[in-house]
Order: sequence, then C-alpha cells, then structure tokens
Amino acid sequence: MTTETREPQRKEVARPPFYRDVRVIRVVGQLLAVLVIFGVAYWLVNNLISNMNRLGISTSFGFLSGPTNTAIPYHQEFDIRSPVWQMTLVGIKNTFLAAIFGVILASVVGLIVGVSRLSENWLVARIATFYVEFFRNIPPLVLIIFFGFAVFTFGPFPIFSESWELKVPGSDNNLLIINNDRWGIPGFTATGSLVLFWVILAAGVVLAAYMWRRRTKHFERTGQPHRRVLWFTGVVVVSLVIAYIASGQPLDMSWPVISENRRRVDGGFIANWGWMSVTFALGLYTASHLAEIIRGSILAVHQGQSEAANAVALSAFQRYRFVVLPQAMRIALPPTINQYLNLVKNTSLGTAVGYAEITALTKTSVGNGRPAFQSFIIVMAVYLVFSLSISLTLNVVNRRLQLESR
Amino acid sequence: MTTTAPAPPQQSSLDWVKKNLFRNWWSGLITVVLLPLTLYVAYRALRFMFVTGQWDAVRVNLTLFMQGTFPRDEQWRLIAQLMIFALAFGIGLGTNSAASRDRAEDAGLDVARGSIVETLARMWSLVAFIALLLFFATTDDVGNFINPFLVVGGAMVIAGAGYQARRVPRRFRNVGWLLTMTLLVIGFQTVSGFDAGGWVPLGIIYGIAAYSIAPVDRFDARWLRFTLRLVGAGVVVLGIRAIYAAVDTTGIGWDEWSGLHLTLMVSAIAIVLAFPLGLLLALARRSTLPALRLMATAYIEVIRGVPLITLLFMGQFILGFMMPAGTVLSAITRAIAVMTFFSAAYIAEIVRGGLQALPKGQTEAGQAMGMAPPPIMRRIILPQALTAVIPAMVGQFISLFKDSSLLSIIAVLEFLGVRKIIHAQEAFRGVGIAETLVFVAIGYWAFAFAMSRESQRLERRLRVTR
Amino acid sequence: MTTEQNPQIYSDATQAKGQAVIELTDVDKFFGDFQALADINMNVGLQEVIVVIGPSGSGKSTLIRCINRLEKHDRGTIVVDGIELSDDIKNIQEIRRETGMVFQSFNLFPHLTVIDNITLAPRQVRHESKKDAEDNAMALLERVGIPEQARKFPGQLSGGQQQRVAIARSLAMKPKVMLFDEPTSALDPEMIKEELDVMVELAEGGMTMIVVTHEMGFARAVADRVVFMSDGYIVEVGTPEHFFTNPQEDRTKLFLSQIL
Repeated sequence: MTTETREPQRKEVARPPFYRDVRVIRVVGQLLAVLVIFGVAYWLVNNLISNMNRLGISTSFGFLSGPTNTAIPYHQEFDIRSPVWQMTLVGIKNTFLAAIFGVILASVVGLIVGVSRLSENWLVARIATFYVEFFRNIPPLVLIIFFGFAVFTFGPFPIFSESWELKVPGSDNNLLIINNDRWGIPGFTATGSLVLFWVILAAGVVLAAYMWRRRTKHFERTGQPHRRVLWFTGVVVVSLVIAYIASGQPLDMSWPVISENRRRVDGGFIANWGWMSVTFALGLYTASHLAEIIRGSILAVHQGQSEAANAVALSAFQRYRFVVLPQAMRIALPPTINQYLNLVKNTSLGTAVGYAEITALTKTSVGNGRPAFQSFIIVMAVYLVFSLSISLTLNVVNRRLQLESR
Repeated sequence: MTTTAPAPPQQSSLDWVKKNLFRNWWSGLITVVLLPLTLYVAYRALRFMFVTGQWDAVRVNLTLFMQGTFPRDEQWRLIAQLMIFALAFGIGLGTNSAASRDRAEDAGLDVARGSIVETLARMWSLVAFIALLLFFATTDDVGNFINPFLVVGGAMVIAGAGYQARRVPRRFRNVGWLLTMTLLVIGFQTVSGFDAGGWVPLGIIYGIAAYSIAPVDRFDARWLRFTLRLVGAGVVVLGIRAIYAAVDTTGIGWDEWSGLHLTLMVSAIAIVLAFPLGLLLALARRSTLPALRLMATAYIEVIRGVPLITLLFMGQFILGFMMPAGTVLSAITRAIAVMTFFSAAYIAEIVRGGLQALPKGQTEAGQAMGMAPPPIMRRIILPQALTAVIPAMVGQFISLFKDSSLLSIIAVLEFLGVRKIIHAQEAFRGVGIAETLVFVAIGYWAFAFAMSRESQRLERRLRVTR
Repeated sequence: MTTEQNPQIYSDATQAKGQAVIELTDVDKFFGDFQALADINMNVGLQEVIVVIGPSGSGKSTLIRCINRLEKHDRGTIVVDGIELSDDIKNIQEIRRETGMVFQSFNLFPHLTVIDNITLAPRQVRHESKKDAEDNAMALLERVGIPEQARKFPGQLSGGQQQRVAIARSLAMKPKVMLFDEPTSALDPEMIKEELDVMVELAEGGMTMIVVTHEMGFARAVADRVVFMSDGYIVEVGTPEHFFTNPQEDRTKLFLSQIL
C-alpha cells in the first residue's frame, strides 16, 4: 500500500465536462422541468387574470362577506341576507350529512352482501352476486337521479298534501310521515341545558371503557369468560338513564306533524328527498364496491390460515373472529377508506337532485353572478383538505398495521 | 367386499337442493324467506318491463338516445364513423392476438383458441342490450330502429369481422397495424371532414412507415441509406397531401356529437389522450429527482382529492379564461380536456403500481449491461409494467365511461343528458321518467359489465402466463 | 488449460495476466449511518479469479455492486480498466459495458425470449446488427449448453438454465471482467453443479472474475485469491490453500469453523 495514513484521503479526480457530470445533469434536468411547468402555469394564470380584469370580474375573495340573496332549499331558518360564507358552511354541513349516512348504509349493506357472496346457500350467494354486478356497473349519477325522480318525486309515494301518516297505536302521534318530498320520524328537542347531560354521559362512557379493560384483564388472568360487551353496554345504558334524570330531563320527544296549511312538516327528524336520494344511491352503489373488497379480503386470508386454525381445533366462529377477520380487516382497510373517500366526493352529484350540499350551493351562487374561479377554488379546497387529511391518517395507520404484522 | 372402486356418488337434483339450499336449519329458513321474495321482485320487474312500463318515451326516441342532437341528414357520418372504428378495433385486437400467438407458438407454449360463440357468451350483456333494442322496434318507424341497432349490433359484427385479422399470415402483421391506424384516422375524418389540411396524421403515419420499410439494405453507405429513406418518406407524405387537396370536403366538428355516441367517444378519446400524460406523471413520481417527484405528486393528489364535477365546473367556467383572449373552446372540447387531465392522475397511480411491482433487479440488469436509462425504460421496464396493469386500465376506462355521465350536469347532452330533451317534448313531460332512466341504466350497465368481464378475463390470463 | 478455445467471446486478451484491471483504493460506502464498506483496498489482475466470502451483511455484494456503480461509493477511488468511476456519466456507461454481472436472482427479462434477452444490450448499446447479435447469442448459448432453448421465455426454463442464460447475456457484451453476485444461492442443489461447471470453464478460459459465493469447493478449485470480508472490512486475503488450511485471523477461523 502506498498510503501511510488511515485518513480517508481523496485522490484528485479530473472533473468531467459539465454536460457529462451526473450531478450537473440532475440539477439542470430538474431546473428545466420546473421552468417549463411554472412557465405554463404562469401563462395560464396570467391569461386568467388579464381576461378577468378585461371583463371586469373581481379577482378577490371579497364576495364571501356579501349577502347570499338566495334561499337554500329545505332551510327555512336560513336568512338570505347572511353572508356567502355562511351558505358555504351550510353546504359543508349537508355534504357531511349525506356522506356520514351514506357511509353507514354502505358499510352495513356492503358487509352483508360481501359475506353473503361467500355463503354456502346458493340463493343467497346468487342474490349477492347479482347485487354487486348490478350496482357497480351503473353510474352513481344515474342511480341518484333514479332515486330522486323515479322513486321520490314521480315515484309511488303520495304528494305532500296526501302524505301517509303512520300513528303510534292508541295515540295521535305520528311515528312516520311519508310523501314524495320528505319523510319524518320522531326525534328529540332540547328543553333545557344539555351540558350536564353530556358531561355525565361522557363520564359513563369512560367508565364503560375502563370496565372493558378490567374485564379483559380478568379474562387474561383467570381464563373465565369476560362478557365485556355485556358489561360495556350495561354501564353505558345505566349512565344514560342517570344522565337524563340528573340533568333534569332536558330532552323531549318531538313528533313529526304536518302543519295546518299542509305545506310544512314540523318537529321530529325530517329527511328531504334530495338527501335521501344521495344517501340511498351512493350508499347502495358504494356497498357494491365494499362487498367486493370484503369478499376479496376474506378469500385472501382464508385458505392456509383457516387450515391452521382448524388444526388447533378452533370453532367456526372462533376461526372467523380470531384468525380470518383480523387479517382480512387489515387487507380491506386501505381500499375501504378509498371507497369512503369516493363516496364523499360523489355527494357532489347532489346538485342533480337539488340537494343543498356545497357543490350545488356554489353552482347556484356562481349562477347568481358570484366569481366562478374563487368560488370553486374554495369548494375544491374543502374536498382536498378532507381527502388529504384522511389519506395521511390512513398512511400512518397502515404503517402501524404493517409493523404489527412483522 | 368387492375390490372395485366405489362409483362416484350420483348427484340428483334433490341432493343439490338439499346441499345448496337446505344445508342446515338457518340456511333453510333463509331460503324459505328469500325465495318467494326474489320471485316476487322478479315478477314485478318483468311486469314493469312487459306490461306496465310506458316505454313510448324510449321507443320513439331511440335515435335521440344514440346520436342526440347531431344534425339529422348527416347521421350517416356517425354510423360510418362507428363502423370504421369498430373495424379498426377488431383488426387491431386480431393483429395483436395473432402477434402474441406467434410468440407463444415459437416458445412452444399451448395456445388457447376462443370461438365466436364463447366471445358472444362473454359479451352477453351487450347481446341483451341489442335484444332490448329489438324489443323496442316498431314497424311504423323503421329508421328509428335500424339506426340504434346498427350502432350496437352492427358495430359488434364488424368488429368481429375485423378480428379475423388474426388468421392472416405472419408477414402481413405490419399491414394489420398500419390498417388499424389508417382506419382510426379515417374514422375521425368521416365526421370532421377530409379537408385539405387534414393530411397531417396520415402523412405522419405513412411517412414513418415508408421510412422504416424503404428497401435500401443493398446500399452500404449509411448516409445514402438515410437520404433514400428520407426521400421515400417525403414522396409518400407529399402524395397523401395531394390526395387530401384533391378530395377537400368539409364535415362537422365534434362539437355536434351527442347521445351514446358522445359517451363512447369522449371516454375513448379521454383515455387515449390521458395515457401518455399519466405515464409521464407516473415516471416523474417515481423519479429520483425531487423536484419532478414533488410536482407530479402534488398534481396527482390534488386531482384525485377533488370530485370530477368540480373540475368540470372549473373547465366550464374557467378554462376558456385561461387561454389567450379571443380563444373559443366548445363545451365538448373543454369537457374532453378536463376528463383527460382528470384520468391522467388516476392512470399515473395505476402505472406507478405496475412500476413498483417490478423487482429492482430488472433495472439493475439493464444498467449492468451498460444500457442508458431511456432504453432501459422503453425495452425492459415499460413493456412489463404496462402489460401488468392492462386490467386496471380497463377498470379505469369503465370508471371514465361511467363518469362521462357527469357531462349532463354541465349541459353536454350525452347518453344520460338526452333525457332532458326527451322530457321537454310535449308528449313526455313528466311521463316515462322511470322508463327512460331504466333504459339509460341498462345501456350503461351493458357496456360496463361486458368490459369488466373482459378485464377479469385478462387478469386471469395474465396471472397464468406469469 | 484451454485458454484459446473461443477467443472472440472473451476479452481481447492483449494485456498480460497480472496487470491490474480493477483497482479499489480506500473505498468507503455508507447506507445512512451504517458503514457497508470500510477502507477497501484491492487490486484485481487480468485473468485473475477472486472469490469473496464472508458472513451475510459483511458487504460482499455491496463491494461488487460498487464496481459497476449499481451502488455509488462515498469515498476513495475505483478504477476499472484505466477508467475511474466518477460522476462522469460517460465513464459510468463505459465501465458498465466492460463489466458483466450475474445476479443471485438471475434478473432475466420475463417478457423477452431467451435470444432477445441476450441480444437486447448488444443491439441497444453496441448497435450490432440483428444478425450479428443473434449469431453471437447462439454461439454463447451453445457454450453454456442450451442452444435449443433460444426461442423460449425465461419462465419456461429451470433455475439452472435461467442462470446460464444470464451468464450468456452478460458475455454477449464481451466484457473484460465478470462479476458474480451469489450466482448459485437461488438454485436447487442439483442445478448448482452445471452452473459451476460453466463458471469453471469460464475461469479456465482466462476471464477476469470476481465471485461472491458460499461454494467453498469452487473457491478451492478455481480461485487465484480468496478474500474474506466481515463488517465491511477486508479481513484476510490469500491463496485458497493458504486460506483454507492456515488462516491467520481469528474472525476467519471462526467463520471457517462454522461453515466447514
């Protein structure tokens, strides 16, 4: 060896000409790409701004504090003089109202159909297959319009003034009001302050969770049945009763009633046709996709794992509960969340049935002369923030699940 | 005991019922509840179909559903266009299938041959749709029926005929490809017209073809071969230009497209245009250059994070403003542009999946042999990654096909939007709402179902050849 | 030795044996904080066969992957056939053309037939005509003993056949040096011998080779020098008989006692 020192010493390398230097090529390549893309973006935005200026369209977001000037369907309480941003908030609320119930419906139906596809009963499996192949090959917009017009507006239900009213037996209270425009079921109204009620209920849930853990530990220590679901539910129910009484019975049953002039439904929990169309159509459509995900995930773990479970003599229920389902859920989680996100995005089709979600309201507001670019940028930002935060959470959860599976 | 093997248990139909419907008491209970329910629903559906349904809104407007508001006396153009595309599609598929069959035979692999009956059985949903159209046929207005029948049935027959290109001997393989591309261009121009400026696409195709097949191998000097090739290509291009100059007829732009024709064309055009863009985005997202990766990721996540309808609204209200003052973009052009940019983000994710699934060793093997990045991409990585994602791409096409229904919201009259005209007609105001919707749903369903079946088959086949 | 059997396949043997083809000086390589290679100094002479052994994770693969820049070394110099590996893209490509590499997992291209696998690089990189490339490929397949498989796809071949195709593919670029990264590790036991036979023949034909392997029999039979690596360092270098019968270092003794 020629070198005496152990110091990592570098022989002087002849620098290659810059156009052959890998490092230079990398930097220049990126610079070029950035320049081209920002150039195009600049050109587009520049055109946009100069065109808007030329036509005298505002480029500011000042319109948000101006008055809305239009009523929102099924929101009589909304003051049309309140600023545009409040209308946007109503839209966001309605978007989530449709999305949440859609997700619940889709999950329940999807789980049932997905498991049914694997049923040993030929008829059940066939019906489930038919369901999946039927719903997932029809555009969700067609389904929404079908529910909106063929089921509700022009469907078998009576017009408003001839609503079907289903009374509670032996009473004058309506259990159900059905017409082609909106449905009503009983709900609750607050008659006093709910703070104490919620506080006690929250404490009860915490206690229930503690009992769950205690029972689990008990089971692990002694091997006796834990019955933790029973304990949990019991504690929650008891605390619900305590909370209701202790806080001075602040909730009252509210029954849906058709108003004197037979134009409105008062009280209760009211569902309008737009919301029902969007929820049902998207719920059933998404369920067909969820069913496929669930079936695929179960099949993916089934074979070898089930055999292993059989080999240690687990019962059919135990096999599903402890071996197949936990693994299937891990596989199913990312695509399921993806479908939920799609459902949320698809609620934007509510505009086809006049449902007052954020996209529909914004479209109307743009039609009334509000600047389109800024309005839709806001809408897109709302969806984007939601989608991105969900995907980020999902990534974190996924990483944790993958670590566990090592 | 005899030593003969016991006969396999005879399965009677009673056994089958017992095993599949009444295996245990709850299975039996479910059957007892569900069977009458199913039969009742089926009865109601059939009754609606054949007895109670007021199908006149559909029956009278079949042509409207197929071709929408396209000028009546020019409709032959649309039919011709669809037929030519179907032929191109068939020839392309046939040639492709023949090419892969050749390779498999060379390698001594078994080649499965499909029959026409099998193909039709796979596409039964489309056959059912044709049957539905037949059901609506009336004798009083034959034209109204022939038109849509041709659109679906005729196209299938012609595509099937084109598929016979797979029987053509090997040396004509390139002719098949050339013919496919020619027909695609001509198909477009059947509607848009063969005006003098329209020579460019065919000029490019035949120019390249002439350049690559010019018989110049007997000359040794490289520059001479090159020059001769260029001259040959130039002559061909000028010839095509002269033909177009001689024909020079005008047609109708795609702005007039509507109905099912528009639905099919918009989806096809958008996916074709979106593919190269999506490919670039996927490569950029997988790139080792952080700036490229960042920009591609941002684009993909933003587009995938918002609903298509908001993008369509943006396209409708804003896209025109983003062009230099005075540029006019038609509603359909803007819609196609938005659908393209939208699909590109999804295709990018699909392609990225295909790229990620490839082992790193494939790139390394190429690098180790001194290949530069572009040929490694083109010869090694992309052929494998793109083949692997074909089923997912078909899935994306189905999505796009279904999503094209959103165009009706921005007042582009595609298959679903046509209903608006129909229910504006005097006779059908508020009449047959469910019927037209059911017809549209069946139409979408027939195409989407056939395509999803095909993608499942492709997936199974790809899994086998792995 | 049958050195001159088929000269056009091997390096243009103008240089004399012993002249250094590969020189590594003070090479360090890090993966994050982990030092994969430390103070590597090594010369490989022309027509020399070097066998690199060592426990897994000792940096053997990283060593040969640095030589053709599949990994970028962080410090020191690597010179292959007089060309120094630097950020010069031209040098990188030139060195890769001069060195062939055979991978543990073959890395054949599954979408191409055997013959297309072999002719791809010669046609893309060396711009050989299709006919020349295919003639050469057939000659190479003949050498590795599977000419009848030329039109098949890699998926139709056994592991041993696939690895021989991979060797033929590397040889098609007429490299001066061949790098083998555990070429027999993914093979079934009965296939290892046919694979090693090809490598032995290659070595006897005068190819300069660096072989990372666990096949001690091969090391004993063909290696000119055996290099033992551990934790990124070269612990010991020696002729096979010296190395296997009289190892100097404790690490080497321990390793040999575990595997022999």
